[in-house]
Amino acid sequence: MCALSMNSIFLLTVELLNFHSLQSDLVNHCCSFPLRQHVRSLVVLCLCCRLRMSAEENPAAEPAPVIDVQGDGRWMSQHNRFVQECKDAEPDVLFVGDSMVQLMQQYEVWRELFSPLHALNFGVGGDTTCNVLWRLQNGELDNIRPRVVVLWVGTNNHEHTADQVAGGILAIVQLLLSRLPKCKIIVLGLLPRGEFPNPLREKNAAVNNLLRTSLPQLGPVQLIDVGGGFVHSDGTISSRDMFDFLHLTASAYRTISTSLHELLLQLLEETPQERRASLV
Amino acid sequence: YENRVVIAFLYVLILQHNRFVSDSKGKEPDVLFVGDSLVQLLHEFEVWRKLFSPLHALNFGVGGDATQHVLWRLVNGELDHISPKVVVLWVGTNNHGHTPEQICGGIMAIINVIHQKLPHAHTLVLGLLPRGKSPNPLRERNASVNALVQAEVASLSHVSFLDMDPGFILSDGSIAHQDMYDYLHLTPQAYQKVCQPLHERIKSLLDKHAP
Repeated sequence: MCALSMNSIFLLTVELLNFHSLQSDLVNHCCSFPLRQHVRSLVVLCLCCRLRMSAEENPAAEPAPVIDVQGDGRWMSQHNRFVQECKDAEPDVLFVGDSMVQLMQQYEVWRELFSPLHALNFGVGGDTTCNVLWRLQNGELDNIRPRVVVLWVGTNNHEHTADQVAGGILAIVQLLLSRLPKCKIIVLGLLPRGEFPNPLREKNAAVNNLLRTSLPQLGPVQLIDVGGGFVHSDGTISSRDMFDFLHLTASAYRTISTSLHELLLQLLEETPQERRASLV
Repeated sequence: YENRVVIAFLYVLILQHNRFVSDSKGKEPDVLFVGDSLVQLLHEFEVWRKLFSPLHALNFGVGGDATQHVLWRLVNGELDHISPKVVVLWVGTNNHGHTPEQICGGIMAIINVIHQKLPHAHTLVLGLLPRGKSPNPLRERNASVNALVQAEVASLSHVSFLDMDPGFILSDGSIAHQDMYDYLHLTPQAYQKVCQPLHERIKSLLDKHAP
């Protein structure tokens, strides 16, 4: 019931905005500034409600560790290693997310482009927004002050809707902003997946669309969509780009890394370095 | 909604399989690698291009595969239209819930299918690696599988076993993340370590196979 009415308000607001953008000259002439501000606030409110940012309503925003069912405790081992790295390292850039992040470190491109930026890689294969949230709340942000965080997660949230996944990503961003007040955040868009068109492609695209406008409202946060170019005109994805139609090959990582690297250089230049002593 | 996700999953798995089946048509590999993600990821690193491409190798690894998945793939087309001289089989670490005896049985079933479909091929079975940062039941399970498989293939002339562990377990019982970045999958430098002896063994098998 609540969701329905929230959706209705959202749709009405979008209609209103469309009306305004179509009649922009008239609007500029007739509408007062406060009205547009009002509409914008209403949109943010609706986006927030629609995306269900509170953990009680959104399972994708509930922090949760991975329970070891296989028997070798690898997830916790990786988490503990990252917590230890936070004690030893002083990264300027922190990459956090799922296997899309983790695998990047195994390719040459990491050593060439991102290591020199003093980047740490806290990617764990299989992670959902819930798992990343838990890790960041349980030590993986302690003692470090990265100037930029690159967040890439959401493609593994199989039990959640696009709305919920976007809400989970927003929850992580909010956590990052509260723990690292001077930090800039890059959220990488979810990539298309599967050899042919399929529901998960639509879902990932929907998540990206939801984030595109809502992320900048939260602060120095932007969505970078690196997925363009992977889907060919016949709708297929090549195994030369994604060797299993999900994970990227070395050459595909190289393609997406160029623009990401440039953006990082730009943001690092803009953001002053915080010395550890000044944090005491 | 959940059904759509399940269907999408199965769809992807079937598509990967189809790609491998169509890959086999028109290619004439001398070596076929088949197995799980440890096989699949090998293809993505420089070591594949340097050591195995020159041997005319095809890679039919699929991440997450257990013995029953590999068996299904080989029965359903991935061995058709090709006649490799050597088949390299690396699978078993994902057989969660199975006993070492069952996993060994699964590996033997795969070996039998390969022999039926490719009577002249030699199968090289690779030992399962230890896993996990610290000692744990899966290391013991994998070691047991290796012992069982090694014993079973000893009497078969068309099969041999290769232990792939160059000593990943350190003196304190731990595995380094420089070798296994998630305590399961190999880093490029670890692949270099394990692939040298593998490359040598494949080459000698190919030499023996030559008339």
